[in-house]
Amino acid sequence: MASKRRFQAAMLAPVIVLLIGLTVFPFIYTMANSFTDYYYLAAESKQFVGLSNYMKVLNDDLFQRAVWNTVKFMLLAVSIETALGLGIALLVESMKRGLRLLRVTLLLPSLLPPVTVALVWQMMLSNHNGIINHLLSIFGMGPFNFLMDIRLAFHAILLIDIWQWTPFAFLLLYAALQAIPRSQYEAARVDGAGGWKVFAHITLPHLWPGLLLVVLLRTIDTFRLFDKVNILTGGGPANSTTTVTQYIYRHGVYNLQFGYSAAASIIMVLLVLAFSIAYILRSIRGSQ
Amino acid sequence: MKKSLGIVLSAVMAVGLLAGCQSGGSDKLVIAARGGSHVTAMEAVKGAFEQEHNVTVEIVGLEAADLKQKVSLDAKNKKGAYDLIMADDPWMPEFSEAGLFANLSELDVEADADFEESSLALGKHPYDTGELYALPFAGNVQLFFYNKELFDKHGYNVPGSWEEVLNMAEEAHAADGVAGYVIRGQQGNPIVSDFLPIFWAYGGQVFDENWKAQVNSEAGRDALNTYIRLLAAGENYETTDIVSSLAEGRGAMALGWPSWFISGETAQADYAPIPSKATTSGESMSTGMIGNWMMGVAANSQNPELAAQFLTFITSAESQKTMVEHGGVPTRKSVYLDSELAAKYKHFPVQLEALQNSQARPRTPKWSLAEEALGAELSAAIAGTKSVEDALAAANQAMDQVMQ
Repeated sequence: MASKRRFQAAMLAPVIVLLIGLTVFPFIYTMANSFTDYYYLAAESKQFVGLSNYMKVLNDDLFQRAVWNTVKFMLLAVSIETALGLGIALLVESMKRGLRLLRVTLLLPSLLPPVTVALVWQMMLSNHNGIINHLLSIFGMGPFNFLMDIRLAFHAILLIDIWQWTPFAFLLLYAALQAIPRSQYEAARVDGAGGWKVFAHITLPHLWPGLLLVVLLRTIDTFRLFDKVNILTGGGPANSTTTVTQYIYRHGVYNLQFGYSAAASIIMVLLVLAFSIAYILRSIRGSQ
Repeated sequence: MKKSLGIVLSAVMAVGLLAGCQSGGSDKLVIAARGGSHVTAMEAVKGAFEQEHNVTVEIVGLEAADLKQKVSLDAKNKKGAYDLIMADDPWMPEFSEAGLFANLSELDVEADADFEESSLALGKHPYDTGELYALPFAGNVQLFFYNKELFDKHGYNVPGSWEEVLNMAEEAHAADGVAGYVIRGQQGNPIVSDFLPIFWAYGGQVFDENWKAQVNSEAGRDALNTYIRLLAAGENYETTDIVSSLAEGRGAMALGWPSWFISGETAQADYAPIPSKATTSGESMSTGMIGNWMMGVAANSQNPELAAQFLTFITSAESQKTMVEHGGVPTRKSVYLDSELAAKYKHFPVQLEALQNSQARPRTPKWSLAEEALGAELSAAIAGTKSVEDALAAANQAMDQVMQ
């Protein structure tokens, strides 16, 4: 028994060390810094400032705007990507031919690095030589200043994210669809169930864990939206695309105000937790 | 035996890793540089120094934000990873105050009079009067660019005031449907860099002598109203579209950095110093925003003397003359006035004139944050979500908070 426990401990040790080194310690260190005035280039050592950083962050209009933009972006991006991903997964599953080619083609956008995606779309959305405005001009529309117009910039970023990450939702949901026992569909057909009833009573219940996983992963990822905004709009026009991660980047990474940005980071973690708590609780209950 | 061998090998690997993390010994210099043409220019001349001093010069080219982050993080190391550091000139107050640079006078580096004064002043801390911490490596300064065909068509001369620019922009826009003036209004550094020359022409100063923000002023309101009217007669583009619109005659005028339009001996648009007056009868101001890239010796360099020698070498007139052929931008008057080079690079006289009438961005370590605050409000004003008055009042308040 003792040797079994030792073996278990030995097997778990690398993971625990990594978890402590890469997650627990940084979290505690960030938390500790969030109560200080830590500025990396300061000559003096950091001082304890209590909740001052948290108060400043929460009272900052720009942070409030960043939170609102991020939440709005998250709700729209996650729901549209999940719905489109589900639709495409159902469509692809029903296809008889060209399945492989379509699967590979669909996945291409999610294989690209975010910076490449942002730069490619910057060219495509260009006012002058961009292909989007060129295509729209064929229909007598435009040109549109997608990234500088306050009415369009947020939606342009949203569109790019949907283009890039819908394939990811598709992939997970398609895999979940494949795992549904065929016999249930056959039984439903024998019983004379229609398409909608089959979807509502067989497909959807089986897909539910996959859907929740997609929602959770995309929620966390959309909360970290940064590259596209930083490259394409700089948070503008008029802060309409600024996000929480961009706010943290500007203060922490670019201006090296580690204490202040640590407080903003902790608030962001709490926000992500608030949006994903339902899934986490469900997972804990499931494992019990 | 196996255990001993393992320990020895591990030790060798650890030493190797640690050695690799530090900058070279006496036989190697590492430069943290802004990537792109600056690196190409340095690569073209470094061979002579390497040969003379029997040393390898490694140039690490980085994107601007990445460069700032990396050299800042390295500053706390006792033995730095870099021997020489390039810095955008607005970073100089922050870097000098934080002790990132070695004092150059202690390393026998001379600030000779051949450097353009406005460029040299950027390397001193406090600005212009203090100790020398960096030498100007690339003498960028914003210029006024225009499409000559459109100017000729309308019989325009190069404008001397923003009143003229506005009139010409509105006329060209109404007559030809082109963008009379193209602003670079992306939130953050772009819109601030694009707006400040107009603000300065109206006699504005970003801060007073007590570092109180002064953008919410008559000059600020007049300048921002002009800026919004220029946008109404034109477009708001990012860099690539600004250049292509002027080159193709779809835009008449814009401000920009020389490297966007001028490559070697060819230019995609004509150029002149930025108009220095608000109105035709107004007072002339320094309006050309200076944006030099500086280079200094890292305070934690392991080879400060050799690094100082390289700094002297790379900023010498001879090196600058060679680097011009590879995209370098001179900072020495003698290079700009060199008859052979001036005949080849037609923009040299204009660029020197612009440098001599240039204006530096406020010399405060907090400029980056203040710029961000101003940029957000300027963006709100041109987007129409705030009135000019409200945007400038909010900018003033936010900048005062930053400076507290």
